[in-house]
Amino acid sequence: MASRVSMVSTKLKQGTNGKRTLDLDGEEKDEQLLMMKNHVDDSDDSEDSDDETANENEDSSSQDEVYEEEDETSEDSESGDEQPEKKDDEPEKHDVRNTIGNIPIEWYNDYSHIGYDVEGRKLLKPEHGDALDEFLQKADDPNYWRTVVNKMTGQKVVLSDADIETIQRIQASKHPAGSEGLYEPWVDFFSNEVMNMPVTGRPPDKRSFIPSKWEKQRVGQMVHALKMGWMKPRGEIRKMKLAQDPNAPSLDLWKEDAEPEITKRYRMHIPAPKEPLPGHAESFNPPEEYLLDAEEEAKWNEQEPEDRRMNFKPQKFCSYRTVPKYGLFINERFSRLLDLYLAARQRKMKMNVNPEDLIPKRPDKKDLQPYPTKEGMVYKGHTDMVRSISPDPSGQWLVSGSDDSTLKLWEVSTGRCMKTFKMEEKVTYVAWNPNPAINLVAAVVGSDVIIINPGLVDKLVCSNTDNTLNNFEDSGESSKSVVVWSSYDVEEKDKGFRIKVSHTMAIVQFTWHNKGDYFATVQKDGNKSHAVLIHQLSKRQTQAPFSKPKGLVQRVSFHPLHPYFFVATQQHIRIYNLVKQELHKKLQANCKFISSIDVHPGGDNVIIGSYDSRLCWFDLDLSTKPYQTLKYHKKALRQVAYHKHYPLFASASDDGSVIVSHGKVYSDQLLNPLIVTVKVLRGHKTAYHLSVLDCKFHPTQPWIFSSGADSTIRLYV
Amino acid sequence: MATEDIVPHVQAKFFTRQEQYSIPDNPYSIPASITAKELNNIIYSVLNEGKTANSVIEFDFLIHGEFLRTSLDTHLEEKNVSSEAVIEIEYVERQAAPRPETSLAHDDWVSCVRGSNSLILCGCYDNTLKLWSRDGKCLTTISGHLAPVKCVEWIPSNGGSTADRMFISGSQDQTLLVWCWKESQKAVDCLYACKGHAGSVDCAAVNTDGARIVTGSWDKMVKLWSFVDGLTVEEEEGERKNKKLKSSGKSVSTRVPLVTLSGHKEAVSSVTWLDGSTICTSSWDHTLRVWDMTHSEQTQIVEGSKAFFSIAYSPLSKLILSASADKHVRLHDLRTKEMKSTYTSHTGLISSVDWSKVNEHLFISGSHDMLMKLWDTRSPKAPLYNLIGQDDKILAVDWSIPELMLSGGADNQLKIFNYELRKKMK
Repeated sequence: MASRVSMVSTKLKQGTNGKRTLDLDGEEKDEQLLMMKNHVDDSDDSEDSDDETANENEDSSSQDEVYEEEDETSEDSESGDEQPEKKDDEPEKHDVRNTIGNIPIEWYNDYSHIGYDVEGRKLLKPEHGDALDEFLQKADDPNYWRTVVNKMTGQKVVLSDADIETIQRIQASKHPAGSEGLYEPWVDFFSNEVMNMPVTGRPPDKRSFIPSKWEKQRVGQMVHALKMGWMKPRGEIRKMKLAQDPNAPSLDLWKEDAEPEITKRYRMHIPAPKEPLPGHAESFNPPEEYLLDAEEEAKWNEQEPEDRRMNFKPQKFCSYRTVPKYGLFINERFSRLLDLYLAARQRKMKMNVNPEDLIPKRPDKKDLQPYPTKEGMVYKGHTDMVRSISPDPSGQWLVSGSDDSTLKLWEVSTGRCMKTFKMEEKVTYVAWNPNPAINLVAAVVGSDVIIINPGLVDKLVCSNTDNTLNNFEDSGESSKSVVVWSSYDVEEKDKGFRIKVSHTMAIVQFTWHNKGDYFATVQKDGNKSHAVLIHQLSKRQTQAPFSKPKGLVQRVSFHPLHPYFFVATQQHIRIYNLVKQELHKKLQANCKFISSIDVHPGGDNVIIGSYDSRLCWFDLDLSTKPYQTLKYHKKALRQVAYHKHYPLFASASDDGSVIVSHGKVYSDQLLNPLIVTVKVLRGHKTAYHLSVLDCKFHPTQPWIFSSGADSTIRLYV
Repeated sequence: MATEDIVPHVQAKFFTRQEQYSIPDNPYSIPASITAKELNNIIYSVLNEGKTANSVIEFDFLIHGEFLRTSLDTHLEEKNVSSEAVIEIEYVERQAAPRPETSLAHDDWVSCVRGSNSLILCGCYDNTLKLWSRDGKCLTTISGHLAPVKCVEWIPSNGGSTADRMFISGSQDQTLLVWCWKESQKAVDCLYACKGHAGSVDCAAVNTDGARIVTGSWDKMVKLWSFVDGLTVEEEEGERKNKKLKSSGKSVSTRVPLVTLSGHKEAVSSVTWLDGSTICTSSWDHTLRVWDMTHSEQTQIVEGSKAFFSIAYSPLSKLILSASADKHVRLHDLRTKEMKSTYTSHTGLISSVDWSKVNEHLFISGSHDMLMKLWDTRSPKAPLYNLIGQDDKILAVDWSIPELMLSGGADNQLKIFNYELRKKMK
């Protein structure tokens, strides 16, 4: 309610005596109302201080006085019976107003007056009477219920009917001014509608329809000024102002950073070094111990001036008066100034960077285990260099082919030579069939591929293998073929020999397909169209997939999962799709002469080794260029190999070492392979400038076999 | 006594479990830099106080469960023991070195060897078994296998006729043959062949009551065979087999496995019975597995970091020894699944390990570095003795006969070392 009251217009017109204007402050009225509330219930009225209401006017302007005078007269005429009282009060009445300002009236509780008038006389509080008077008044005064006390003056005020009406309206949450005049119809005198009858009947001026001469002159002046550049269009002026205005929003964000030269100099200022304060030695009357004795003095004299600890001799004077002028004063001052002037003091701009931090983090070798670390076994038995080795798919046996024209089968776990096959020529290449269900070993002897059943593994597998080989029936088409397939007679078959595939030229390389039915051979300098041959074992067929291979084919390899075929020439690797019979991709090796190739078991990565001692890792998804080129071997690489299960790959080189690296291929396409070299394995001796000739991983264990020119095979575990 | 102030001293108490050598239980103040040899002198002088010196007995000193091999202070530092407290030093009589006794020549590599009472059985790479008496006489050469023999094992004779001794042999020809040695006739009978493995039978173990045989093979399987009441399948033998067994004059019955346990991902390299119903197998797939044979299920798996080549179980200490592809012998406790210690001294692959059957601390290991080593479990850093003799890779060691340590290897020799037992043991 209070807030509503404060919102009410402060002008209240008293309806009964329309001339009177009550100008109330919101606050005052508030208080009045609160008091009023106390009295509203009482039905008694009292009109004794009715007139005093008028004196509520706070303004002491002359106009108010005029009103007051009018009030007086009007009230005089209204209620004559109260006149004598009023006359008594007249001097008071004149002064009864708030002279104490806006302070709590309680402060005057202990005084008999409230404030002072212009002459400095105390304005006495009106008589209030005691509780008995109050009671009597309550009984007698018909206006008692509408009498309130003005807190600011301490006077009693009798509220008029209009006041009460206003209060009642406020209490009823209505507009305090009454709702009669609120919704009167609005007369729109100044509407936009053109009336039929003009307000004036004056004819329009001539100037309203003739172009203004003065305007024309003014425009001419402005055009001239614009032409001359004295005046500028508004947009340009704004731009200029913006450019000049320091408070305008700056578009150059980095403007602040360009530090002015002068502040830079202040900021970078290095104060001149202070001269050390004089010590006891400099005193005119130094303690005895500071004085030089004869020996020290002689030494001082001997020394060069710049070597001396002090550039003066401490001297003792009996009094300050006897101290002579300091002889070196000018010299010292000059040298100091010279020092300040010439010896530039400079801040050294130096970054504190630990060089270790700049090296990228390598994973700890311990986390990359297992990988082969030590030599575990040496397989001895060959008498000449071992050209090629191959473990069987289960990892129990190892086959090796040597220049002593034998092929040997070894037991991996003990190093026992289980069987030896004598050949006619040097065995240049051996390969165990990767399919565990087919127990066959292929050996390249000169220009022949000889398929052998070593008969070591499960008897059932051996016999099944033989059965499938025997089931073949010759359809007589082999006459067209570029190679000759032939079987061995019974005696040879007992030894284990099964099939011979005779080529026309020496065979450089042999490789099995993962399923074990197909194999590919590379012929040396052969008829170009027959450089690469793909053979099918079950049908004993041979085909030459390339009519003209581009370049000299070095190595070929089958993709482990898809029908792709890798052909490595001297500097490129071409990947052919065997089903679609087209070139799938061409990789560019940044090396001169590719010597070996191996395909990751996942099929998306390829490593190649080259005779210029490089190893290149290709990520086929990434690019046709090497993902990484490693050049850690000192001499030509002979063989590279991936492990079937562990994230390992290895390279064998003529420098006598096999380097094993961790090469993790992530299944996440976003992560590039992690390649860390973990171990250099040495053991083979160099013979005929050759050292390690072949290396192959054990199919299940993190072990690697290597064969060397020193006619041994070594196993690293 | 100025020097005594400078040299740090420690308080030590000596005790022994061998009562004949016990000395008073007084703490001694000994220099911290003392070695085993000097300690020996102290014990010796205390023992022989007021007596005439008899034969010199050498002692080994155990401090916190490990033999003292360096000086005392470094030993304490390694074991992280405060030198302030009184140190309890146990001393045991030092074992005399095993003596090389004989060398038995074979025709080919000796792949496996087992001793039993007075007989020694060897398997060779020339597909034969050789039976030797303890004093080095070749009793017989048994041919029957078609491929190199990989394992042999005696079947304990419980009660029955002591003259007849049974044994089994596993071979790369995928069979396990059960033989009977008839002492009276000096002849060997092939009782039956166990067929079922699809790879070379690399290891076999016989239950203590001799009724169950368990084999491990390269085909990743573990098979259980019954010795007593197995299903016997009379089979028409092939010609070749008959030719070989003509001497016995009768066809060989074939048995099939009772149970096949699959679980290993690589070849099973070694198998051993833990008690009457559980076995432990080791494999190239870097695991040790424990199987409950009554329910034929795997109960426990211990992951290693390298392929296991051989394991041995000691019923005395209830611990498992393992030889793996990295030149260390490891000691496993299957009950707590932890690796207790690592014994490192070999420089080649370790092919075989075996516990002493009478001493819970001693074991031997044979390696491709031509050395057989005698170890004490309490001395992980150095073996007790290196037994030199073999001239090539050692493929098998055996300590079934407590007095004899046997080793066979790629030099076609079976070496026998005599190991004198302590008086207490006798």
